[in-house]
Amino acid sequence: MTITTNLAEKHGGKPFSRRPATSKLETALTLAAGAAISVYGVLRRDWFGAAFAGGGGYLLYSGMSDLRRPYQGRARVAFTIAKSPQEVYDFVRNPQNWGRSLREPMFEHNDDGQVTLRLGEKHGLDFKSRVELTDEKPGEYIAWASEDQRFEHRGVVHFKKAPGDRGTEISVALEYKAPTGPITHSLASLAGLNPEQLLREGLRQIKQLMEAGEIPTTVGQPVGARGLRATAKRVLYHERPAAEMQPQRMAGD
Amino acid sequence: MKALCWQGTNKVEVERVNDPVILNPRDGIVRITRTAICGSDLHLYDGYIPTMEPGDVLGHEFMGEVVDTGREVNRVKKGDRVVVPFTIACGQCHFCKHDLWSACDNTNPNAWMMEKMYGYSGSGLFGYSHMMGGYAGGQAQFVRVPFIDVGALKVPDGLDDEQVLFLSDIFPTGYMAAENCDIKPGDVVAIWGCGPVGQFTIRSAFLLGAERVIAIDRFHERLKMARAGGAEIINYDEVEDLLAELKWMTGGRGPDACIDAVGLEAHGTGVAAAYDYAKQRMKLSFDRPTVLRQVIQACKKGGVVSIPGVYGGVLDKIPFGAAFGKGLTFRMGQTQMQKYTERLLKHVQQGDIDPSFVITHRFSLDDAPEAYRMFRDKRDQCVKVVLDPWATPKAA
Ligand SMILES: NC(=O)c1ccc[n+]([C@@H]2O[C@H](COP(=O)([O-])OP(=O)(O)OC[C@H]3O[C@@H](n4cnc5c(N)ncnc54)[C@H](O)[C@@H]3O)[C@@H](O)[C@H]2O)c1
Ligand SMILES: [Zn+2]
Ligand SMILES: [Zn+2]
Repeated sequence: MTITTNLAEKHGGKPFSRRPATSKLETALTLAAGAAISVYGVLRRDWFGAAFAGGGGYLLYSGMSDLRRPYQGRARVAFTIAKSPQEVYDFVRNPQNWGRSLREPMFEHNDDGQVTLRLGEKHGLDFKSRVELTDEKPGEYIAWASEDQRFEHRGVVHFKKAPGDRGTEISVALEYKAPTGPITHSLASLAGLNPEQLLREGLRQIKQLMEAGEIPTTVGQPVGARGLRATAKRVLYHERPAAEMQPQRMAGD
Repeated sequence: MKALCWQGTNKVEVERVNDPVILNPRDGIVRITRTAICGSDLHLYDGYIPTMEPGDVLGHEFMGEVVDTGREVNRVKKGDRVVVPFTIACGQCHFCKHDLWSACDNTNPNAWMMEKMYGYSGSGLFGYSHMMGGYAGGQAQFVRVPFIDVGALKVPDGLDDEQVLFLSDIFPTGYMAAENCDIKPGDVVAIWGCGPVGQFTIRSAFLLGAERVIAIDRFHERLKMARAGGAEIINYDEVEDLLAELKWMTGGRGPDACIDAVGLEAHGTGVAAAYDYAKQRMKLSFDRPTVLRQVIQACKKGGVVSIPGVYGGVLDKIPFGAAFGKGLTFRMGQTQMQKYTERLLKHVQQGDIDPSFVITHRFSLDDAPEAYRMFRDKRDQCVKVVLDPWATPKAA
């Protein structure tokens, strides 16, 4: 994968370190997982089956192509929010809104001004990484870079007035070097855990909070007997068993 | 409470489930007094809509009394009698502000699924698969209504439940299908399908000034109801060549607008139809676009094809050359409900239409499994079923 925009140069971030290549074992496992998922997908013969077959194909592909490459990726996501650039900037910049109101906080802010990137908590995978703001222009952009070398990442959030009465285009460009190899990455992608999807859901929640004042949910609603297969798919639908259900906590509660 | 749950293809069951509670500040809870079964529910029943799961509560046409509201609800009050539109909308995004309510950006918790399949996600819907939000539906005793201030239509005194219930879906759906035809004086509109949606489309076309309406189906009771609404009728089972018949009836011009109020489970005969059935059975496709092919072929040059009938996937053998060659306009989609509810309530109040004309059967919620079978198989001259979630079952 080639990174076309070098965010590091533009926004004062550091270049990524060198990382050892993928092992043969990892490659073999990726190929096996890819084959299994493709077969499952083909057997299912519905749209989700097609998605799985596609995902499996991707694993097969990455198993074959990622032989000697360190895992480095990039993600770009943009949303349009029906508010002014200053309002969106202020919302994003206000640490109060980070940990408390987003269900999947992208950033967390502690009392001594320390910023942490946090991913995948909802999926039982609590990932934390310290962040340093490298550049910023109020109302226009914020750039960041990771401070430690476990998971290296850097990125920039842009706020731009959208045409007409559409509000603000908020975009995030992120470059990262994953802490795990391609298998974990690819499997995580299938479960919607890849950085791009997490980023997308994070931005979506900012948009939903700013426009609608709440994040839509069905967690805690009545359901009938789920049966075995549908119970297994609860992860996919972000559904939790009744015992864990609790109304959503909102900012200002 | 009691709720009707999907349990797999051809299987729905009344189950005891938890009562709904307020989950978000703009939610309301409605105690349902009347709910209906829709042709769209049949697509779920027959297993053609992906991402339905056992245990999902069905139903998107319902009304009742508000019994609880979240702390950000201002317009709607406890005790209000409301009809709830099936498209859930936030009222504040760009789409809601431009009357494109079923395209609302902020109400589908599973937006990512629909984005994967369609590129972008529409609004959340009640009781209509996880891809469309996974919201529990209203074929139940209670329902949670997100963004209740935006959706719920307050019912003025003096109107029965049955006169306003269909403002939750099929009346606005039929109306939008007709409005999408840009009807001008002298226009002839042809409508495929005389199910509940087709019936409201016929009456809406006349409300909007159509000169003539030609309605097409094969069930006598439905054709009779269409004729009562002022339409000329064609039983497609009894004519040799439907398109020739339409040409004949329109002085060789063809209908000015053609409406597909049938959707993905069209009945058909012949080679193309047999091929569609086979593909659908093998799960190679979700749709049987027999009617869509016909409306494109039948429509006059420069005419409009309006599609309220639901399609889900990638369609096969669509005569796109004909559409291009004749310069047709296509309009379709989930109904922009909130755009029409107030306007159509006025028509009901003024007595221009009494939507209860379409009801042929009334059951208790407990009888819903039987009602689904009857409606699907068009038995007992069934056109539209209304359920009372609090009545005692007939079968007992
Ligand atoms: N766009 C929306 O928002 C929206 C809302 C509600 C319903 N719908 C859709 O509208 C469609 C109709 O709904 P309904 O409640 O009237 O369903 P229905 O099943 O009762 O009616 C369908 C009618 O089409 C007739 N039909 C079948 N094949 C035909 C053919 N080849 N030619 C002519 N007629 C044919 C059937 O005999 C039946 O009378 C469904 O696809 C439903 O999902 C869409
Ligand atoms: Zn409906
Ligand atoms: Zn909206």
